[in-house]
Amino acid sequence: MKGMVFSTFIEMVEEKFSIDTVDQIIEEANLQSGGAYTTIGTYDHGEIIELVGRLSQHTGIPGGELIKAFGEYLFGVLVGGHPQFLKGVEDAFQFLLQVDRYIHVEVRKLYPDAQLPKFTYEQPNPSTLIMNYSSERPFADLAEGMIVGCIRHFGHDITVTREDQGEAPGLASRFTMTKKVNVDE
Amino acid sequence: MSEELDKWIRRYEREKSARKQAEQIAEEKTREIYYINEELSKLNEHLEEMVELRTADLEKARDEAIEASKVKSQFLANMSHELRTPLNAIIGYSEMLKEDAEELEDSYFAEDLQKIHTAGKHLLSIINDILDLSKIEAGKMELYYEKVELSNVLNDIRFTVEPLAAKNNNELIIESDAGIIETDLTKLRQILLNLLGNANKFTENGTVKLTVRKVEHDGVPGHQFQVEDTGIGMTEAQMDRLFEAFTQADSSTTRKFGGTGLGLAISYRFSHMMGGLISVSSEYGQGSVFTLWIPDENVNKIEELVLDELSTEQLTAAADSMESNGKRILIIDDDPTMHSLMRRYLSHHNWQPIFAANGFDGIERAREYKPDVITLDVLMPGMDGWKVMQVLKEDPELKHIPVIILSMTDNRNLGFTLGASEYLMKPVDRKSLLGVLQKYIPEDELGESMIMVVEDDLPTAQMMTKLLKKDGYGVSHATNGQEALDRLDEVNPRLILLDLMMPTMDGFEFVAHIKKLSKWENVPIVVLTAKTMTEQDIEQLNGRVHRIMQKGFYDKDELLKDLDRLLKRHETAIKSS
Repeated sequence: MKGMVFSTFIEMVEEKFSIDTVDQIIEEANLQSGGAYTTIGTYDHGEIIELVGRLSQHTGIPGGELIKAFGEYLFGVLVGGHPQFLKGVEDAFQFLLQVDRYIHVEVRKLYPDAQLPKFTYEQPNPSTLIMNYSSERPFADLAEGMIVGCIRHFGHDITVTREDQGEAPGLASRFTMTKKVNVDE
Repeated sequence: MSEELDKWIRRYEREKSARKQAEQIAEEKTREIYYINEELSKLNEHLEEMVELRTADLEKARDEAIEASKVKSQFLANMSHELRTPLNAIIGYSEMLKEDAEELEDSYFAEDLQKIHTAGKHLLSIINDILDLSKIEAGKMELYYEKVELSNVLNDIRFTVEPLAAKNNNELIIESDAGIIETDLTKLRQILLNLLGNANKFTENGTVKLTVRKVEHDGVPGHQFQVEDTGIGMTEAQMDRLFEAFTQADSSTTRKFGGTGLGLAISYRFSHMMGGLISVSSEYGQGSVFTLWIPDENVNKIEELVLDELSTEQLTAAADSMESNGKRILIIDDDPTMHSLMRRYLSHHNWQPIFAANGFDGIERAREYKPDVITLDVLMPGMDGWKVMQVLKEDPELKHIPVIILSMTDNRNLGFTLGASEYLMKPVDRKSLLGVLQKYIPEDELGESMIMVVEDDLPTAQMMTKLLKKDGYGVSHATNGQEALDRLDEVNPRLILLDLMMPTMDGFEFVAHIKKLSKWENVPIVVLTAKTMTEQDIEQLNGRVHRIMQKGFYDKDELLKDLDRLLKRHETAIKSS
């Protein structure tokens, strides 16, 4: 997993909890990297699961919730650092639709070895978008958090429902986003 | 407190370790980029190598193609020689035999011989067309520009086309406000004869009209030649392919009207070479209009001194510096264009022109130069032509000089009463002027003139011998250049008629040798060849050869007239030296 995810996670824990918390979870979690992350490095994705587990123990918040919250946070950081992806984009659906065919393509130019999740899309009507997530790593929660982050960024009133698919949890999920239609309009 | 410090130290260590990782990754990436660059430049080199190889291949192919084209041109040149030489004999002999038959009043044979003669000429024209086209396509066709008076060209053309018009009972009309044009006369003539020939071929009991007008095209001054007929016309589809080689309106046309279909293709290409255009419009069953436009000047030439811009003084000075063995002719005319025109008319003849722009100067120059002939304009400011004439005829030293009046007005009686020898109306054409001047060259007192015919082809040599003997010349025949050189002293020729392509010693080598022999430096050489002349060939002969005639492109009378003129010039030169 790309180092940018790790260093952003550490930043978030520092910001939302404390520098002490960061030190504690890293010390407890016997990591191969020793918790020294650089954005341009690549690390075992197990490390982030380990760190989340430790954080969950310290805070009493379930791991899934923590990852979703991290997803929202990560969305803000990514978009803030790469404003070009927002150019000409007017709503959340439009942005989400270009993740697979534009943003991930650009990511591969910088990191040819990046293992990115795969998204397929369905749009049964203009106010509904379905995204099918599949990955070699169990981060459906992270995807959900990022989707929510995106919807918040554009300030829409969109509900997200998630159906997990397949046997192993978090490897494949179906997200259905529905715009709330204002009847008065 | 130390626990707090330990925490910060751990944090610092993590950050340091992360930085080192980042630096290591950066190093690796830089190295990667370096190797990728290496590979790219290798690939690039390889590509360059490939391009070089490919270029070398292409160069080789190009050289081979150029060589092949040279071989082809050479083949064509030789072929033209091989074809024209025997054909020339057929044409020449059939003409002579026909004349003999006519003299013997054997009209039966004369008619048949005329047919052979006509068919031979037709075959020759087809061969010439094919060779022309091959030359154009090989980029070997060259243009020879000269300034010509269009009215002369048109007179000439009328003379040639009238029999064609008469044959199909057509009326031939030529209308023109033509002036002077700088062009390749041979090619212009060929185009016009082709267009008029076609018009007459496809028109019966109708009218063929040639209209010549000064027309500017894109700001370039030029002349437009429109050939209009009332013949069978063409459909759109027929017009589309008209200027392509080997194409006639359709195959039935070929059966009915004959021809190779090359004429228009050649005309089209010629007009383009001269910077001109040719176009057609036609209505089926109603007739066709072909329009040729060509610029008045050589579009390809670099700045050149135009004769018209020379002053009278310069012209006279130029004339003075010319070989002075010619007859002197004083031209008294106030129109400077007349001066340059006369100069052009006389340039190839043995006349040395002296110019005067008014009557007073005219009389003064007549006293100074004692010319052999004077041409005199009538309407001049100051002293008019009649006054000048009176003064000339009252001067005992000048009164014997023949005066030729050149005038716009017809006042013959007054002219002859005052003592004019000849009276010509302006505009004067070259032929009639030269014809009149010829009268004032005294006949040679010398007897038979010996002509040496250097020619390897026996039928041609025999034909030339017969032709020349008939005209009163003595003839000696040599079969190649070496034999001719060996026998010069024995034969003592007054003129040499020279073939170019001969065994043992060819014409070029012969010319190179005789150039070095001062004894023969004044003997005119006329080249008579079937070889297609290149610019290089002409250059090689330049300076020594007086005239180059293409077998099959001259007629008998023209040749004899030319020889006669050259011989006279030669005798004059001998006398004056």
